[in-house]
Amino acid sequence: MAFDPGTGVQKVLLPQPCILVIFGGDGDLSWRKLLPAVYNLNVDGALPSHFAVVCFGLASTKDELTLSNPDEYIRKRAKDGIQRFSRQPLDEGHWEDFSRALFFVPGSFNNAADYARLRAKLEAVDIQFGVPGSRVYYLSIPPQFVSMCVSQLRDARMVNDPDDEVRFTRTIVEKPIGRDLESARAVIKAVDQAFAESQTYRIDHYLGKETVQNLMVLRFANSIFEPLWNQKYIDHVQITVAEEEGLVRWDQSTSPPTMTASRVGYYEGVGALRDMVQNHILQILCTVAMEPPYSLDPDVVRDAKANVLHCLRPMTPEGVKTDVVRGQYIDGDEHGCLVPSYRHEVRRFFEQFPPEKRPSGWDNSVTETYVAMRVFIDNWRWSGVPFYLRTGKRLPKRSSEVAIQFRDVPSVLFNSRPEIPVDPTVLTIKVQPEEGLSMRIATKLPGPKVRIYPVKMEFNYASGFGATSPEAYERLVLDVMAGDATLFMRRDAVETAWQWVMPALEAWSRERVLNLPEYRAGTWGPVEADRLILADGRQWRTL
Amino acid sequence: MTSAASVMPGFMGMPVELRNIERELNSQLMVEQGRDKAPVQRVRMSNLVIYCGSLALAEAVAEQVPDVVMVHPARVLLLVADSAAPPGITAGVNVRCRLIAKELQACSEQVTLRAGEGMVDRLPFAVRALLIGDLPTNLWWATPQPPPMAGPLLFELAENAQQIMYDSIGWPQPALGVASTAAWLESVERTDALRWRVASDLNWRRLKYWRRMVAQALDPGSARGAAETVTEIQLEHGPHAVVQAWELASWLTTRLGWKVQGGKSHDNVEMVWRFIGPNGDTRVRIRRLDSGPAEIRRLRILNSLDGKPGAMNIVAEDSVRLSIQLEGVESAPRTMTLPTHLAAELVGRQLSDRDRDPVFHESMAVARVMAKSVLG
Repeated sequence: MAFDPGTGVQKVLLPQPCILVIFGGDGDLSWRKLLPAVYNLNVDGALPSHFAVVCFGLASTKDELTLSNPDEYIRKRAKDGIQRFSRQPLDEGHWEDFSRALFFVPGSFNNAADYARLRAKLEAVDIQFGVPGSRVYYLSIPPQFVSMCVSQLRDARMVNDPDDEVRFTRTIVEKPIGRDLESARAVIKAVDQAFAESQTYRIDHYLGKETVQNLMVLRFANSIFEPLWNQKYIDHVQITVAEEEGLVRWDQSTSPPTMTASRVGYYEGVGALRDMVQNHILQILCTVAMEPPYSLDPDVVRDAKANVLHCLRPMTPEGVKTDVVRGQYIDGDEHGCLVPSYRHEVRRFFEQFPPEKRPSGWDNSVTETYVAMRVFIDNWRWSGVPFYLRTGKRLPKRSSEVAIQFRDVPSVLFNSRPEIPVDPTVLTIKVQPEEGLSMRIATKLPGPKVRIYPVKMEFNYASGFGATSPEAYERLVLDVMAGDATLFMRRDAVETAWQWVMPALEAWSRERVLNLPEYRAGTWGPVEADRLILADGRQWRTL
Repeated sequence: MTSAASVMPGFMGMPVELRNIERELNSQLMVEQGRDKAPVQRVRMSNLVIYCGSLALAEAVAEQVPDVVMVHPARVLLLVADSAAPPGITAGVNVRCRLIAKELQACSEQVTLRAGEGMVDRLPFAVRALLIGDLPTNLWWATPQPPPMAGPLLFELAENAQQIMYDSIGWPQPALGVASTAAWLESVERTDALRWRVASDLNWRRLKYWRRMVAQALDPGSARGAAETVTEIQLEHGPHAVVQAWELASWLTTRLGWKVQGGKSHDNVEMVWRFIGPNGDTRVRIRRLDSGPAEIRRLRILNSLDGKPGAMNIVAEDSVRLSIQLEGVESAPRTMTLPTHLAAELVGRQLSDRDRDPVFHESMAVARVMAKSVLG
């Protein structure tokens, strides 16, 4: 959605004919999310009339027979992903239509000849599907390959002029964008050398979720909330991104349990602060805390969000000690099964590699799987209002939410008797797994005595609107095809976010601790995190 | 966890894997809703975690759950420790709907978790994953074991609870149970609004009308001087109701301003305490009857009425009537009709009642001294 700043009239941006080129197209993200997302868009009739998907990458299979027909290979893999993960069940009619426009070009990200083959394939698909030469390059690849891929694209003359609106070229860059400020700047610079900022879409799929978008509607389309949305009425805000899964999936039917999937290779040395806080949580924080933008023009909204990042109270080495808690899960429980500690998972993962390929400290990891922090936004609106952020792996349930807790009523009338509790009013925006919002308010219990009881008013997207909400990736991919960058991170936002978390990363790397605060898998984090918030006379919410 | 257990008791509902509980609840709700109908209303005023120490107890409690949620709709998590169960934790779900208006159904949900041998201490993990945020959490310790004797399990299950509810009916060692529970109350309750938690004994709630009757009988407005001249309190109760009688006695002695001097138990049939009151030595006797329902049957208060020795007899005529008869003065018996509260209704009403009851606490503090004097 975007507005013409001159007239104030909403510009209707429609997805334009193009080829979606997925780098790493047979990888995990593509299999689980991207291809099912595009399939769903196809089912919903949301794709442009002239459209195709071309996947590019090193095929993860070594099966010669399969590779002799790469298009069939990717179709088989896509069908499997859709059957497992799609929001809508696979429909043979739609599938046939979708699969006809799905192709695979096997190749190395660093081989110019492979790019030439990719280019030839794209040109052939242009002709076959009537696409005018427009491309969306989705870089679903590890960050170390980004700079290589964009250079190759540039050298192969596969990037068109940013002003060419008929034959547009856009690129989607997946997180993580770097692993610290320096490397993030390097990635941004590398992409800059091939693509203009207007062609670059840095994706954070959290921003594509209905409820995150609904935050703006909630705030700015309802007259009751915005007047209360400030330090006068809000006591504090809690943003939680809780994940039930750990870094390894265990098959519990074998004895001992065997590792079936692992993200340790990506996560070890990265940790929760980089993986979740620097991007997803800060982006949500910006949406909650931003000033009302004067229009819905992408850059106006992104300016408003960037201003929040500029107002974050900088972390100091002392502040890192008092306002940030990190933790790591030890053995515990997941759905009634014993699960091992993160350290054990890291050891088991790296034991598969020869000693010279194992990273230092692999046998005694100090990577945080949990982080909680107290954050302040030093501006007029939020002065003195703490924002408590927490995220972790192997917590009791998968649940992400933003909770706005309003100030207590004065200690007179109903809040004056210590033997009667009055729970504060809380507005909760649920991001996942169920999308919706709820509000807790105090009510009188029926009967002659005045007794107060908290009740919860709830709105759930799935039951309220009857249909399942589109997946975040569906919305975001569509926005790129339409050229709407509102929900994507601008380079300054990425850099500012990194700048803000760097003191914590630097302090931790200096500390060289042997052990992190621990929490049992299946619990809500280390006791140190409870102390962080209890010290302020508040507590973490039960999700 | 084991796969959906084939030998699951019927009350557990639809067998489901732990990781799929929410999904199964949603799909059962969709079935209840039917196609093209208005969305069903999912009603829940709280999370109700119920712990039962055996399968037999769980079956009895499960029968009450539909009536409990009629009074207080809740997400019910029924936990069953069952050493005979298959290894692991097995789960089942039930959704119960009722029509509350034209085409509007209110549905409540129950999840039953059965823990086999060695798995009971893992139940708190499953509970954490199933609690609903922003709702009060009640823990109903539905097992005849005084909560302080339950060990770390209760501590863990209660970590998010705003109310711990127990029932002192049928405690096997009443004196020990009263002494430890009274001490435990002091530590388990939290009065800061932030981490509010109260503990409630259903037995205390059952005494509501006894206390009201006694308060009216001794009220200076209706019987001047009756309270000040009480010299002895005698209570008779059916089997398993000694703690109920004890709580009434401790409440009454607290109101009368008596202090415990000492106590004795006689053959586990009668307990006698010496007190000192504002006007000298006084006494409390609690005697168990050989048979009858597990409740107080009679309260006799010896005092002076109009300057002459007399007594008040308050008797449970039947389950819905208390009567009072004065001895030593001419008067017709008075009766009080009690609302017919099913056991489940009693629980349901307690769930909404989160206020701290200072009278209960004062009474339990006296009960604790009484227990100590009996234990020696």
